[in-house]
Amino acid sequence: MVEVRLESVSKRFGRVVALHEVTLTFEDGSFTAILGPSGSGKTTLLYLIAGIYKPSSGRIYFGDRDVTNMPPNKRNVGLVFQNYALYPHMTVYDNIAFPLRLKKLPRDEIDRRVREVAKLLHIEELLERYPSQLSGGQQQRVAMARALVKQPDVLLLDEPLSNLDALLRIKIRAELKRLQKDLGITTIYVTHDQSEALALADRIVVIDRGRIQQVGTPDEVYARPRNLFVAGFIGSPPANLIPAKIVARSGSACVAIGDTVYCPDKPLSEKLARFQEVIVAFRPEHATLGEEPAENMVSIEAEVYTVETLGKENIVTLLVGATPVKVVVEPSVRPQPGSKLFINVEPEKLMFFDPETELNIEYIEV
Amino acid sequence: MALAGLLRRRVRVSRPVDAETYPKRRLTLVIAAAVLLASLPMLTTYILLVLSSFSETLVTGAEFLEGKPIRFTLRYWEALLSGRLSAIVMTPVTINVWETILNTLIVALGVSLVVTLASTLAGYAFSRMRFRFRERLMELIILLHAFPGVTLLIGVYLLYIWTLASLLHGVGGAGRAFAVFAYTILARASLEIPMSVWMMKGFFDKIPWEVEWSALIDGASRIRTWLEVMLPQVKPGIAALAIFSFLAGWEDFIYVYVFLYLGTEGKYLTLATLIDQLVGNLETAELPLAAAAGVLYLLPTIAFFALTQRLLLEAYTGGVKA
Ligand SMILES: Nc1ncnc2c1ncn2[C@@H]1O[C@H](COP(=O)(O)OP(=O)(O)OP(=O)(O)O)[C@@H](O)[C@H]1O
Ligand SMILES: [Mg+2]
Repeated sequence: MVEVRLESVSKRFGRVVALHEVTLTFEDGSFTAILGPSGSGKTTLLYLIAGIYKPSSGRIYFGDRDVTNMPPNKRNVGLVFQNYALYPHMTVYDNIAFPLRLKKLPRDEIDRRVREVAKLLHIEELLERYPSQLSGGQQQRVAMARALVKQPDVLLLDEPLSNLDALLRIKIRAELKRLQKDLGITTIYVTHDQSEALALADRIVVIDRGRIQQVGTPDEVYARPRNLFVAGFIGSPPANLIPAKIVARSGSACVAIGDTVYCPDKPLSEKLARFQEVIVAFRPEHATLGEEPAENMVSIEAEVYTVETLGKENIVTLLVGATPVKVVVEPSVRPQPGSKLFINVEPEKLMFFDPETELNIEYIEV
Repeated sequence: MALAGLLRRRVRVSRPVDAETYPKRRLTLVIAAAVLLASLPMLTTYILLVLSSFSETLVTGAEFLEGKPIRFTLRYWEALLSGRLSAIVMTPVTINVWETILNTLIVALGVSLVVTLASTLAGYAFSRMRFRFRERLMELIILLHAFPGVTLLIGVYLLYIWTLASLLHGVGGAGRAFAVFAYTILARASLEIPMSVWMMKGFFDKIPWEVEWSALIDGASRIRTWLEVMLPQVKPGIAALAIFSFLAGWEDFIYVYVFLYLGTEGKYLTLATLIDQLVGNLETAELPLAAAAGVLYLLPTIAFFALTQRLLLEAYTGGVKA
């Protein structure tokens, strides 16, 4: 219901830079996931938008309104805290009703809305209990209900489903997504769970050490990571990274991965020509294993190290030189550790990174 | 009695006990026994005092050993409560005990109110707000607490005399009475406030920041957040503070004596100063009268411990939920 815009926002705690020059737009009604390792500044980003923290520099806008100095109670945002932060002296019902009471809604309207949202989050039987009598997952759902019930302009969720079992998580996130679209709430969703981010979000923001690493659709972030951090962070297991040398073959630049030499076509080889070394990356699910080098594929010889069996698939770890490489294979494929195999990857699936700037060379302008 | 109850409870437990509550019960048992033992002399004194107030002569405990009977009488209580003291006390003092109790109550409630209000506000500020000299102020408060209250008395008394003579010159009746009581209450409360502020700060410190932020985000103003989210969570602290400062006001002697009694030429008595008067003016044979006044004086303390003892014990054994 409102567009959220950050303009070169920084947040420092003493000497710790929690966020550095973040410029981001969250479109009206969009669903954005924030992904990043622990301590990367995700919670700080949410708190800045909610108004709990004031930026050290930069400005924050809701639509045309500059809210940089607006107190949190005037912003009409909903926030689910990482540790739930329920009111311990109130029942679940009163916890959820609290924001509505503050809006001075009539009693029956409050009751209707509380019961509605409680039903949505499967906590109808818990309404008379106190937070201390709930499990972690139940508390989390109450916190979610409290944030949703006031139909905020902006919904901020800090790992809101981390304590739910897999089944309930899938159920609730489907309902959350539907509700979000129905009500058109601009939603920002912090999560550690990438599959959740990829499944839910219109857009993903990857953040590391207080800096935005990439902003893009789930497909873009997955298929075209902007830098090594994103490539090594997104996906489970994440992309394989193998150092390689650039060599000249018949006048054009080729990539030498161990003994394998791969010569790409024109635009790419021209870009590669500017480097001496690159880092080659590909996703474990984009490679296959074979006894022989495959035709029209880049084949890299490797030695099998371990095999993890996960049920619906196996993950084979191989060594290319000294670099471990993971490949996802069918459950029936169980190569013997120590055996020599070829890792076959389609050339289109290869990504190349500048080891110095760590940027994907796709994103480097010539 | 509490001990017997505990023992009974202990025996009755047949279902598996949570790891959390089991060792605590045993601990409570030990603590209860130790406390009972330690408080035996005090308990004996209390009992003797109560017995004395209902008997013809002071009960010292020796009677029980010698097998002498205690002669029961309500004479002293009747005399005390109806204020007919002139028959007993040598100097012709007429004392209205009910008025004395009212005075004591006013001081006690006043101290309780001032201390609770001031420490709850200041405790919150010290716990949650960042302002200049915050650390310095907190150290200063500790220092104030370490300062013995009696040494302040002279300065405070001079200020008091000056106030009465200048600002309140010519003010009489209700206005003067109000000023005198207010002064006593504020002076006595100020002794309690430093420690109480620290205590309340501790209570506020325990509330996670997120809970407070949560209320702000839900749309509550700062004041509303304080009243509806923060205060309910420090209720136990407030209750303890209110009770302890009430008792401090009720039991106080020196401030009440100097400001209320001396400062007004003996116009306002409280139970503490009344007992002092009685003991000073009574024949030894009539001391049960002072014992009766003493029982009145100790009543709130006893009532408080009788009430909270159960609560404390239950809290220990896990009987009470938040
Ligand atoms: N109040 C604070 N005072 C000082 N440093 C802080 C404060 N809050 C956060 N930081 C620091 O800022 C950085 C970002 O913290 P933040 O809580 O935003 O991380 P996060 O991405 O939410 O991590 P997690 O996934 O573990 O919750 C961290 O290095 C943290 O130590
Ligand atoms: Mg966090």
